[in-house]
Amino acid sequence: MFDQKGQIRIFEAFLAVAVIFGALLISATFPSQPDLSKQKSLASLGTQALMKFGINGTLGNLILQENWTVIKTSLDILLPIGVSFNLTVYDENLQAINNQAIQNTNLLGRETVSVQYVCATQNSNVQFFIIRLQLAWTR
Amino acid sequence: MRQKHRRNSGQILLIAAFIMASLLLSAQLYVFEVGKITVETDSNALNDFVLGLRLGSRHVVIGSLANISNGGQSNTLTSNLQQWSSIVGQQYLLGKSILNYTLNDTAPYSSGIWVDWGTSGTGVSSAYANFAYRLSDKEVVANQSYFVNVTTTVLIESRYKILSLLEKQVNVTINVLNEAQPALAKQITVYYRFLDSWLVPDETNSYSLSDYGNGTYIASFVTSVSLSDVEVSVHVVDQRDIFTQANVTSTQI
Repeated sequence: MFDQKGQIRIFEAFLAVAVIFGALLISATFPSQPDLSKQKSLASLGTQALMKFGINGTLGNLILQENWTVIKTSLDILLPIGVSFNLTVYDENLQAINNQAIQNTNLLGRETVSVQYVCATQNSNVQFFIIRLQLAWTR
Repeated sequence: MRQKHRRNSGQILLIAAFIMASLLLSAQLYVFEVGKITVETDSNALNDFVLGLRLGSRHVVIGSLANISNGGQSNTLTSNLQQWSSIVGQQYLLGKSILNYTLNDTAPYSSGIWVDWGTSGTGVSSAYANFAYRLSDKEVVANQSYFVNVTTTVLIESRYKILSLLEKQVNVTINVLNEAQPALAKQITVYYRFLDSWLVPDETNSYSLSDYGNGTYIASFVTSVSLSDVEVSVHVVDQRDIFTQANVTSTQI
């Protein structure tokens, strides 16, 4: 009798643990919190794209020329497929200077990550810009 | 017999407790590992930011040297770096972000600038600055030190051969270097001395400039300089708009 009772208790204990872990596993799949590592990697992608773009002063020169279309096209190439972006260029006084939107799709309603990048132009009259790049996965 | 059964069931209970404990510990370990990944990604974000700073600092030094070498004021580097440092300091609102710089004053540099456009066939325009970046908030303190050295060097060699009593053909080999590596020039202007003035050879001098695509250029022209030596000066603007000139006296082949 004692043996059977003990076995049943052990079985019950295991069952309880299984139920708890099952609940934990199920709750982990709920999108209750943003996936931080995914968001961080997106931020890293954005920073690296901006650095590649600015490595020879190209980004700074395009900002000086106010060539927003080429900036948008270049970011389209530099960022992986499936990433939406919206870029805003500010001067030293934090006034936005791009008079047209630099974005591939609308980010409204999406979970975005923001990257800030300080850009110095590489010409004889050095100017400074602050670039804010908002990114989101499209799927 | 009954006592033996009791002992066995106790052992099984203990084993079950160990299994449960190991399950709980493994779950805890998993949570710890996930936390470590987040810390690593934070560190990557900081590294990305510092890489961006280094790139920006380099642009500021290049732009300042381009300005100074083209006749700008010698304090351009200082004022640009002050502005850069101030902007970087305003970028982090949750803590302190401080970028300090020091200009190299070790000879041949003075206030971070070295310009030597001598007559030995070598011309140098260079800028050198050291940076120390410190980011601190409640959770993290990061220190990064780096330097930026931007140098454009022009090396020239010139030789001439006598074509006739009044004509000499001058060949000038020009090598352009950025940070001691071959680099392309944006603009090259060759001058030669005729009496008291410097002239630019043109079509009337059968002037030609060959670009070998690897930072080496050969200029060739015919002059009627009657003196035994031909003085040549080469002015180069590299792809970064940094101006450098080198002067040399041609020797006969």
